Amino acid sequence: MAKLEAANASPGAAATEKWSVRRLFSEWRELGIIAALIMTVLVFTAIDPEFLSSYNLVNIVLQASVTAILAMAVTFVIITGGIDLSIGTALALSAVVSGLLMSQGYPLPVVVLGTLATGALAGLFNGTIITLSGITPFVVTLGSMSIFSGLALIVSGGQTVYGIPPEFSDLLAGKIGPIPTPIVIAFVVLVVSSVVMRMTKLGEYLIALGGAREVARLAGIKVGFYTAIAYVISSSLAAVGAMVTVGRLGAADPALGADLLLPAIAAAVMGGADLNGGEGSMLGAVIGALLIATLQAGLTFLNVQAFYQQVAIGVVIILALLSNRLQKA
Amino acid sequence: MSASTAKPLLSLKGISKSFPGVKALQNVHLDLYPGEIHALMGENGAGKSTLLKVMFGAYSADEGAFELSGEPVSIRGPVDALHKGISMVHQELSLVPQLSAIQNIVLGWEKSVAGFIDWSAARREALAALARLDFQGNPHVPVSRLSVGQQQTVELARAIAANAKIIILDEPTASLSTKESEKLFSILRELRADGHALVYVSHRLAEVFDLADRATVLRDGQYVGTLLRGPDLNETSLVKMMVGRSLEDFAIQHEATLGAVALKVDGLARNGVFQNVSFEVRRGEIVGMAGMVGAGRTEVARCIAGADRIDAGSVSVNGKALSLSSPSDAVRAGIAFLTEDRKHQGLALRMSLAKNATLTRVPTRMGFINRTKQAADAKSALASVGARMPTTRLAGQLSGGNQQKVVLAKWLLSGCDIFIFDEPTRGIDVGAKAEIYALMRDLADKGAAILMISSDLPEVLRMSDRVLVMREGTLSGEVARAEATEERIIAFASGGNTWQS
Repeated sequence: MAKLEAANASPGAAATEKWSVRRLFSEWRELGIIAALIMTVLVFTAIDPEFLSSYNLVNIVLQASVTAILAMAVTFVIITGGIDLSIGTALALSAVVSGLLMSQGYPLPVVVLGTLATGALAGLFNGTIITLSGITPFVVTLGSMSIFSGLALIVSGGQTVYGIPPEFSDLLAGKIGPIPTPIVIAFVVLVVSSVVMRMTKLGEYLIALGGAREVARLAGIKVGFYTAIAYVISSSLAAVGAMVTVGRLGAADPALGADLLLPAIAAAVMGGADLNGGEGSMLGAVIGALLIATLQAGLTFLNVQAFYQQVAIGVVIILALLSNRLQKA
Repeated sequence: MSASTAKPLLSLKGISKSFPGVKALQNVHLDLYPGEIHALMGENGAGKSTLLKVMFGAYSADEGAFELSGEPVSIRGPVDALHKGISMVHQELSLVPQLSAIQNIVLGWEKSVAGFIDWSAARREALAALARLDFQGNPHVPVSRLSVGQQQTVELARAIAANAKIIILDEPTASLSTKESEKLFSILRELRADGHALVYVSHRLAEVFDLADRATVLRDGQYVGTLLRGPDLNETSLVKMMVGRSLEDFAIQHEATLGAVALKVDGLARNGVFQNVSFEVRRGEIVGMAGMVGAGRTEVARCIAGADRIDAGSVSVNGKALSLSSPSDAVRAGIAFLTEDRKHQGLALRMSLAKNATLTRVPTRMGFINRTKQAADAKSALASVGARMPTTRLAGQLSGGNQQKVVLAKWLLSGCDIFIFDEPTRGIDVGAKAEIYALMRDLADKGAAILMISSDLPEVLRMSDRVLVMREGTLSGEVARAEATEERIIAFASGGNTWQS
């Protein structure tokens, strides 16, 4: 018996001592996407050294901030084995509510609470229907995508909401010290989301019910409740993204959402979120968003036509997923 | 049987296979003759699965020779193996549930005429193969509607339709009823008579003695020896070869000291599944639940555990009736349900042992998970079930026996004191089995109430203080320990007798 145990113990011990690139990549999942981001920056810099000027870099991060927030939002849901196709239009709906509250002169706390409540209610709607009906999240959120979009148009009367008082724009699109506020907000969301996923029971349950729903259920975890929570978090983060967007644009466009969904999901998945559930990384999602923004900025910088940009970005997304897959195998 | 003179159909010589950090196989030999049933034995983790995968082309060996009828060959994958006459019937059946038996049999082999599948030829071949196996089910309906035994026949028919001379069976009886197993054995004997070579993996020793012409034993990835059918092929010698020691403490002599009634089930029913099931389990007691597969035992357990809705009747714990709307209600009342399907219902395979073990009770400090305590809790719970492993390892990397220990560790930490074990040692090797038995007995002695569902009759007889028998959705009998024999249990399970205490 003692001999057996020694034999069992030694492979593990040997494995921790032996260092290899393959092992590093499989242990630290974000490494692949980080490498991809660095390579992309290097390629653009090689083509034109001007690309790396600090203004441009800050600009890229700024461009990426809303996508990053949405990517983290949808990561919460993907980890549970679900999907949230409605985050784009949930953002639009929250943006319109936010814009209306701002333009009607409500104070900041009311604006923030009102916007967050809108997002949370949207998520509660998704989560409740998914939990109670048993309909797949894809279909439910496909429906609510349309509902939220319609509500955004109804609330705004189909018009872009203007008249955002400058103090809101200054606050939301200004700078904190040298750093633009949207970047700070995205960073705070990253820190809080990572802490929730890694250090709290909630995070552990979300992973458990994504990776092994029946195991979690039989262990007495209230899977319906926690599933709903994931959607509430997702849409609430979309509301945070909405405030940043309204601040940056100085207006709230009810048709905002459509273009935001795909980059967000792509960033989340490139960052390591497994669409089957049970795995996902907040840092990875943010870096995925940075990669997409870098590509957009770089291709624009090189005067590549917008049509070709779309093709190039699509190709990079597929390549990134392919390398994720190889990394896992 | 001319095993000693004929030329081997398949010959493996000095096969070695390593994975990063593990030597899964070292210098393993195996000769397979036409017309023999060759049992491959060993504990979980002994290297059986790896060897099967090498034979079937799913892995390629690092070293060693692979010969088919004396010719050295290399197998480039499962499809190539099938073309070379080697077929495998997997433990977890690998049929496409939505397709019919016929469609499954010809899957990947469809002959086409001008781009269209030649269904009449396919049907002919498939039906011929099914007829040879005396298949009783409907070959035209989706196989998901067939019984497990019938599905297995379809898998065998696949092998025969592909004209495979070598058929590998990985624990074929694991999910079969006694009757279905008997049927399978007679089919296997016929195949043997026709000159097929069968590799048979099973944890059930009785089957091996019944069927096998020879048995090859692996231990820790190494070849231990091959026993010929005869006086040498017996439980003592096989177990000794498998575990490297004899199993003197296998039988548990025991007098249970019974305490208060912990679990009381009264008139429980679930429409169309089972009716009017009533029984009690006392503290300190292990109550066995026997019956055929499909008699409704697991379904009763699922209702008690809150996993399925109850249509009538009640479940009480310590005299208090529970309102069970989800498993969390049962867990809160102290009911732990250790499912038969550990991979999908017992463990989160991609999570660490520490996280799995503490899933029902994640230790927190000021809202954050206390990882130090989590690891310590998991470590001590794992140690108490005799599993000394790094808690950072992923659950999916463990063998069946160790997975069951982790599941047990999880429920020990949950604070539950009523345990429902569903097939506690299914797919678990002899050595780990004895440990699981000892742990169950120990739990009962410490005052836990245990309900044990098992299709393994020797296990039921060995472990139970009292045996409940189910048949077709009702409790058909109850047998006290002193009167429990295989014959009596089978009589209740198959309808020979009705209620009798």
